[in-house]
This record gives sequence, structure tokens and C-alpha cells, in this order.
Amino acid sequence: MEKIKLLIVDDEEEFAATLAERLELRGFISKGVSCGNNALEALASNFSPDVVLLDLKMPDMNGFEVLIEIKEKYPSIEVIMLTGHGAATGGKDSKERGAFDFIMKPVDIIELTDKIKSAYQKKESNPGKH
Amino acid sequence: MTTALKKKLTHFLSIAFFLMDKSRSYRRFRIMFSGVMFVIIFAPLVVVTALSSFEYRELLLKEERTQLHWNAEGAQKTIEAFMTKLTSVVKFVSKDRGCDDLLDQYVISKLLVNLKEEYPGFVDLGIIDYNGIQQVYAGPFRLEGYDYSEQDWFEKVLAREVYISEVFMGFREIPHFVIAVSFKVPDKEEYWILRASIDYEKLQKYISTINTGASKDIFLVNRQGVLQTRSNFFGEVLEQYSFSSMAEKGKISITESKLDGVSYLKAYVDIKNTPWVLGIVKEEFIHGKEWSSFQFRRRLIFIGCSLLAMVIIYQLVNFVTERLRESNEKRDLLMMEAEHSNKLASVGRLAAGVAHEINNPLAIIDQKAGLMTDLFEITGDFEHKEKLIKSIDGIHNAVERCKVITHRLLGFARRMDVVYERIDINALLKEVLGFLEQEALFNHIYFEFVFDENLPMILSDRGQLQQIFLNIINNGMDAIGHDGEMVLTTTLKDNTTIDVSICDSGPGMNPEIIKRIFDPFFSTKEAGKGTGLGLSITYGLVKKLGGHISVDSEVGQGATFTVSLPVNFTQE
Repeated sequence: MEKIKLLIVDDEEEFAATLAERLELRGFISKGVSCGNNALEALASNFSPDVVLLDLKMPDMNGFEVLIEIKEKYPSIEVIMLTGHGAATGGKDSKERGAFDFIMKPVDIIELTDKIKSAYQKKESNPGKH
Repeated sequence: MTTALKKKLTHFLSIAFFLMDKSRSYRRFRIMFSGVMFVIIFAPLVVVTALSSFEYRELLLKEERTQLHWNAEGAQKTIEAFMTKLTSVVKFVSKDRGCDDLLDQYVISKLLVNLKEEYPGFVDLGIIDYNGIQQVYAGPFRLEGYDYSEQDWFEKVLAREVYISEVFMGFREIPHFVIAVSFKVPDKEEYWILRASIDYEKLQKYISTINTGASKDIFLVNRQGVLQTRSNFFGEVLEQYSFSSMAEKGKISITESKLDGVSYLKAYVDIKNTPWVLGIVKEEFIHGKEWSSFQFRRRLIFIGCSLLAMVIIYQLVNFVTERLRESNEKRDLLMMEAEHSNKLASVGRLAAGVAHEINNPLAIIDQKAGLMTDLFEITGDFEHKEKLIKSIDGIHNAVERCKVITHRLLGFARRMDVVYERIDINALLKEVLGFLEQEALFNHIYFEFVFDENLPMILSDRGQLQQIFLNIINNGMDAIGHDGEMVLTTTLKDNTTIDVSICDSGPGMNPEIIKRIFDPFFSTKEAGKGTGLGLSITYGLVKKLGGHISVDSEVGQGATFTVSLPVNFTQE
């Protein structure tokens, strides 16, 4: 089975790096970037992830903006929001904007992997533009 | 009302409110307000009554003088007419008979008899020659041959045709006066005198009849102040009394005087062709009936109005002060609520901020620990592997606990927005209790839940419900202090309402306290502890959500607060 490719976007580099490592151990391909601009750059270059894990609160561009950008340019990529805020403010709105789901920090690894797999399923079942 | 006046009034009121504000003394306000009202009501009242009294007084004053003037004038005319009549009788007698006739004793006696029949006052008649010797005489005295030439009236009567004398004591010790007319003896160029004496009683009687009820006294005096007729006040006929003002000829003079504390008006007018002055004495109006009844009525009205005004002022002041107090308290409450709300918002923001700050490092700890666990799983055995795995589990658990706390804090911060949603009350209560868990455990307060599991979800605002129940449970816990129980019960009251009751095992409340428990600023805690706002804010919130809150308690039996909430509440 092909490995699922992930892009982790979070300004906390330690967090992103550790998460990436753990996901690698579970059979995902992960890359971490520390801000929205870098994420868009990465997407523009050849790295094409299946699922993006996107932090809401970031210094240069906030999660929403990045979400909108991604959905606009790469609509087939599924996005899962990482939020420390709480369901009401972050989650609902981001779902409206096209995010697949959201998960609250601190992240439960099992919950996360489940969501990633579901997102991938969705992606695979939609033939989409690239 | 002019703008200037409006401004003044507003200015005044704002000072009043300012004073009251600063001093928080409703008593002072009451006094000041009462004072103002008092002045406003009494000033015009006093002015009007004083003015009307004054005006009326002036009127009466003028009127009585006018009246007296007329009385005097009338009396003067009547007396003059009377005297003219008497004089003309005597004149007629003199003219009717020839001199020779008159010199006959028989004739003159007959004349006297006839005169007396018509005019009973006549006493005697006599003819006096130009030398002053009385030639004939008819009457009770022996005056034939009497010499009158030395008497000054003799000269006067020869000068004028008619002479009326003063009243004087006659031979019989009876006062009388004399009318003398001179007539020309036809053949001789001489003037003889016909003299008639008249009993003063006639005059007196006449004067008495003129006296109208209005005057207290009416009398005649001569220019020296000797009474010519009896006076009620000044004495008997021929007595002297102090006669200060000389009546101007023909003019009526009116003066005031006081006798034994009573004020009188006196009018004097002289009687033409006589040596007499008419005096009328009248009591001043202030002793009269009209004035006293006016005074009485005036005072009655004044007192009546005053009493009414006092009552009105009292009621008005009370009413206004109460409204003021209410409105002030309401305002204070609102301000406190706003402050409270503000504080809460700040705390909320703080909490959210803290939670966020902590979340990130927490996430890192979590992930690192997780990584460690992952790596251990693929590593073979090594020394202390068991211990290390256990330690990492411990870290995970600690992180879990932190997670719960931060999520709770974030939940707390969230509730600033009013959002209506379907809420499971039982769950919400448990959630609220979560906030207070530590404190409850620390104080040995145990909670029991008696929940109706089939309670419908109600439409309401989560945040406000949390605040309501938080307040009430907090209150209960404060009441208990240490070692006690609280029972939370939920029931379906009817199709549209659910009841939540919170019962504590505290000391309970007496009826006085129960009555005031939801009042703002009312607190049973000692000064400095608690604002006394919790329950009043709670009351307001419950009402806002369309519900109702009540309390049941007895001293020594704890307290039960019951909140009834509508299942489907919609704001109008």
C-alpha cells in the first residue's frame, strides 16, 4: 500500500518535528514546515501531500488563510486543523471553509491517525483536479 | 416655563442629586426636598392670604369711613331740618300775631298752650323789648320783667334774626335751650324778641331717633366740649369732655381713638345756625362681625390648606425619595453587573490566554513522551525499560489531566457570547460541578445527584446557565462551610418546564433573610466578603432566560433553591 503523504504546518517546530517522527514510525511520510508561507512554497514545489495538518494560530498567516489558499489551489488535498482554541471558534468555521476535520491539542496520536486515514479515504474516492 | 427658569431648576436638581449622590443620605435629600416643597406651597399661600387680608382691610377701612361720613351728613341734615322746623314755628308765631296781640298775657299763654300741644317740648314763651326787658311771659317761671340785656345772646339775636342757644341748666334744674327770633314792631322802628325755651329732652329724643344701630353713640356738644345731649361714652348732658378737634365749619372731620382697648371712629360736624356740633362714635370695623368672620374663614382656609399641603408634601417626598432610591439602586446594580461582567471577561480572556500558552508546551511534552513510547516499543529489552515505560505513562497521565483543565478553562472563556442551543441540563450540572470539584473535596462537601434521565434538552444559553448554577452551588457551599452535603435534583415539572433544585445542608435562613435574599447588595456574609450581588445577578439571569427562581428554607434545615426553566424559550 502506498504510504500516505502528510504536510504538517505548525509554528511550534519541536511539536511539528516530533509529530512527524511519530507518524513516520506509523508508516506515514511526513514533512514539517513552520509557517503558512513555507507551506504554500512546499506545495508549489514538488511535494504533494495527501493530507495537510494545519495549525490555526500562526504568526504570518493564520490557519484560516492558509486553508483557503490550499483549498483554492489544491482542492483535492484534505486538511485537518490542529486547534488549541476549542470547537466553537475554530472547528465549525474551518469545516465550513473546507477543512475535513479538526483535532484539539494536545493531540491524541491514535485519534489523529484515524482522522488522517478517513481523510485519505475521502481523497481517494474523489477524483479531483491536482 | 422660560428656559432660564428651566435651567435654574435643572441646575438645582442636579445639585440635589449630586449632594445626594455624594452623601448617599436620603434623609438629607428628604429634608431639602421637603423644604423646597414647603416653600413652594406656602409662599404663595401666605402671600395670597396676607394680600387678601390686607386688601379687604383697606376696603373695610375705606368703607366705614365713607359710611360714617354719610351717617354724619345725614344726621347733620336731619338735625338742621329739625331745628329749622322749630325755628320756623317760633318765627311764624312772631309773624302771625301783631305785637299788640302778643303783648297780651292771655294771648301769649294761649299760644304756649297751643304750641305745647303740637310740640310738647316747648317750656315757655316770652316777649322781650329792645331794651332787653321781658314784657310778657308765659311759662312755669316768674320771669316777667327779667332783664336780658347783659346776656350776649341778646346782642346776637338783634344782629341776626334767629338765635338758637346752647343747652343750659334752667331755673328748674332742667336743661333746656332757647330759640329767639327778633321781629320788627310795625309802628316803631324797634326790634323786639320772641323767646321760646325748649326742654332739652325734645332734642335728646330726636337725637336718639336718628341714631342708627350702626353707631355706638350720637350726641351734640357745643364748641367748648360741653355736652348738649346725653352721650353713651362721654357723660350726661352739660358735662364736659375733652374735645380735641375743632370741627371746621361745614366740614365733617373723622378721627380715630381708642377707649379701653377698643378702637373707635369719631365724626364731628357742626350744625348750621346752632352752636352745636354733632358727634357720632362708631366702633371700628375690626370689632365688627364681618371682619371677625372673615378672619375666621381666612384662618380656617389657611389651616386647612396647610394640613393638606403637609400631607401632600409628605406623600410626595416619600414617593420621590423611594423612586430615587430604587432608581439609584438599579443603576448601581447595573454598574456593578457591568463591572462584574467586565471582570469576568478579563478573567475569561486571561484564562483563555493562559490555556493557550500552556497548550503548546503541553502538546510538545505529549508528543515527545509519545515518541519515547513509540521508540521503546520497537526497541528490545534493556535495563530499566519497564521503569522508563511506566514513567512515560505517568507523563501521559499528567498531560491528560492538564488537557482537561485547559479545555475547561477555554470552555469557561468561551461563554461570553450568547448562544442558544439545545442543552442537556444534567450534563451541564455535572460540568459546573467539575469547576468546583477541588474546593468541594477540600471542604468535605459531598454532592448527590437525583437526575431525571429522560429530561428533554432545553433551548437556552449554555454560558448563562453555567453562571446561574455556579452561583447557586457556590452559595450553598459557602453556607455550609465545612462538612456537609448538597443534593442536585432535576425533574420535569410539566410539558414546558423543567425544575432544577439545589439543596444544601447549611444553617438555613429565617423569613426576613428569605425575603431579601435576591436583593442587590444584600449579603449575610461579614463585611468585605462577597458583594451581595451573586444571587441578585442570578435572579436577573434566570428571568432573562424566561425562568423563575425561588428559595425554600428554615433555620437549621438548610436551604433549597429551585430554578424553573422553560424547555423552549424564545426571546421576544
